Amino acid sequence: MSLVESQIETFYEVMRKQGITRRSFMKYCSLTASALGLGPSFVPQIAHAMETKPRTPVIWVNGLECTCCSESFIRGAHPLAKDVVLSMISLDYSHTLMASAGHHAEAALEETIEKYKGNYILAVEGNPPLNEDGMFCIVGGKPFVEQLKRVAKDAKAVIAWGACASYGCVQAAAPNPTQATPVHKVITDKPIIKVPGCPPIAEVMTGVITYMLTFDRLPELDRQGRPAMFYGQRIHDKCYRRPHFDAGQFVEHWDDENARKGYCLYKMGCKGPTTYNACSTVRWNEGTSFPIQSGHGCIGCSEDGFWDQGSFYDRLTNIKQFGIEANADQVGMAAAGVVGGAVAVHAAVSALKRAQKKNEKVEG
Amino acid sequence: MKLVVGPFNRVEGDLEVTLEAEDGVVTEARVNAPLYRGFEVMLQGRDPRDALVITPRICGICSISQSAAAASALGAAMGLAPTPAGADMAALIHAAENAADHLTHFHLFFMPDFARPDYAGRPWHGRVVERFTAMEGSAQRQAITARAELLHVMGLLAGKWPHTLAIQPGGVTKAPGAREKARLTATLRAFRRYLEGVLFGGPLEEFIGLSDVPSLMSWGRGDVGLFLTLAADLGLMDLGRGSGRYLSFGAYRRERGPFFASGLWEGGAQVFDPGAIVEDLSHSWMEGEAAHPYDGRTEPDPQMASGYSWCKAPRLGGRPVEVGALARMVVDGHALGLEMAGGGVLARVAGRLLELARTQVLMEELVAGIVPGAEYMARGGMPSEGRGAGLVEAARGALGHWIRIEKGRIAGYQIIAPTTWNFSPRDAGGVPGPLEAALVGAKPGVEVQHVVRSFDPCMVCTVH
Repeated sequence: MSLVESQIETFYEVMRKQGITRRSFMKYCSLTASALGLGPSFVPQIAHAMETKPRTPVIWVNGLECTCCSESFIRGAHPLAKDVVLSMISLDYSHTLMASAGHHAEAALEETIEKYKGNYILAVEGNPPLNEDGMFCIVGGKPFVEQLKRVAKDAKAVIAWGACASYGCVQAAAPNPTQATPVHKVITDKPIIKVPGCPPIAEVMTGVITYMLTFDRLPELDRQGRPAMFYGQRIHDKCYRRPHFDAGQFVEHWDDENARKGYCLYKMGCKGPTTYNACSTVRWNEGTSFPIQSGHGCIGCSEDGFWDQGSFYDRLTNIKQFGIEANADQVGMAAAGVVGGAVAVHAAVSALKRAQKKNEKVEG
Repeated sequence: MKLVVGPFNRVEGDLEVTLEAEDGVVTEARVNAPLYRGFEVMLQGRDPRDALVITPRICGICSISQSAAAASALGAAMGLAPTPAGADMAALIHAAENAADHLTHFHLFFMPDFARPDYAGRPWHGRVVERFTAMEGSAQRQAITARAELLHVMGLLAGKWPHTLAIQPGGVTKAPGAREKARLTATLRAFRRYLEGVLFGGPLEEFIGLSDVPSLMSWGRGDVGLFLTLAADLGLMDLGRGSGRYLSFGAYRRERGPFFASGLWEGGAQVFDPGAIVEDLSHSWMEGEAAHPYDGRTEPDPQMASGYSWCKAPRLGGRPVEVGALARMVVDGHALGLEMAGGGVLARVAGRLLELARTQVLMEELVAGIVPGAEYMARGGMPSEGRGAGLVEAARGALGHWIRIEKGRIAGYQIIAPTTWNFSPRDAGGVPGPLEAALVGAKPGVEVQHVVRSFDPCMVCTVH
């Protein structure tokens, strides 16, 4: 593809303009490769793609939410990866971080939509409440649902950040006073990538967006629309406390001896056995920890309906123990009742292989 | 002339301000929080413990404050106090979040407005553009990096952030060992190096020792010095002045009491009675009578003609109060805080910086006091009937949760967040909220932006 014909500058050009050196650019490419589970041989392909492809514009809008997704994102994985991704996004529109305010901001949004019609990715944080004609979330004097529809109309694809955009999250908890509604129920004619979690892990967010920006295609999704590369395994599958589960060693009270020994938190209500996410492998806050490591069970925040499944501190029922479970799908479906299209345990490994195969086809 | 300012970017959540202006200055302001989710309604009928999971999700920036308030309200209902070591770790996690919030406010939300072309030609403008242009400034990159590193504290002690689960009524679920203590020590050492090397440009103890405004203004070092220079040039002490009436619930409750004192201040320390808190609904899109939060209800009615905000109007003894870092420094009796009482934009921002420096010292003390193997959690049972209040200090000011438990379930749950106090609408007597009052006299435009941001609003907490 020729650069000259392209109206939008390439990633590489943008990065150079942002003062990022060639050396840092190459480092970024290798970081991207490793974040996506690809080998060093993919680095030149990524570099080539970024040098020759026009960059993908991103519009980031906020509905009914708590901004935890933005919070998570701005502490993204590697400082360099975060800088690069952030600078890409900043070029277009981001409600929480951008410089301009008020009507200038609205104008900037319109301009961005016009300029990149059909080519941009819409990233949605939060969701639209539909009760009272959308009155519960007003942006620029109009219901957020209108902004969402307007921006989605000319988008190439939609990323639903977090549990709010993907499923509704706690603000949709019974009785769902505002009728908070996930994005896919309002936008039905665009590909939607759900990146659930409350919030999603920073590295997962940067991973997903980097993949889309770099390869100009959607990552492989599971049946719920989540990127398989990050949501292919249960927390339980890679939990460092798993041996205690298998050995039948459980915490019974927050302050008991077993808690001090770091035994399994299943009886304290841990939802790790039915939750598909990368917390136990990627971990949080730059890889320092995840909830189970702090002695508290998983609440299943990346699963649909996690907010209305009885108390967060009730234990799951129907979980088989001592290594006799035959099939993770069954466990997921039986216990949570919401993981309808649950993914097989081996999905992460095979997703990686598939990604590698696909990436071999990446052309500049 | 009537003006509507909004949506505001670079604030947490959505905000709209309607201004009446005459002769180029604001004569009347009405603040609207245009986002409502109904957390108080959702909590009803649930297992009381679920408040620990649900309320932090009110806000992704101050989720630990919400978590601490919920744990404290439940603890009060259970008659359970955290163990001393548990209280200290909860304080440490909470302090780290508040410090991170202050850093975010200064760099990402407040200072970028001074890089606007409106100020081109001012002697400090070039430097501010270089350091603080939104998303590009060199100071912002440094601050975001320092903040992410500070938040390792959350990883080490709280599992994840935002939306931590570690704080419970009896203490914390994570018992730190020698390894955590060493890593926390290193994390805080790095954060102090950043604060002293970049933000303050000098020893924190020296800044904490400042006792009057003239010596503050001549600080002259670091990004703090840059801010003080432009604040002096633009007269920010007198822009958006406060009422001089401050409330703090007391921050970081340890065995011997809060690290920053609790109380009410107006010209001097006053008696603070939590029973005198009432939420007035006369100008909110809410049905019902004014009530103490134990008896309060949340029934939205968007049709209500006299309403102009989802925000209720909390009043203490019938009057509005200002809350926040400045309020904490004043109520705590810090010399510089007292000197700045009643001040405007400069006082609020400097109060935050002063608190940031003092918070670092507290965090170091808490980490030094970690004893591996100590009791970090006390055991208690949930009563089937009871009530309790959790009064804590979020970065932005006083945060209260009031819970009523009946038949083992939540019968009532009311929350008053800091910005609910600061950005409250008018009450039945027509008395405006603190921001509404502070905006009178400002010039529409960038000045209004400075005043609004000086409160560090958190709109998602405000209405919840």
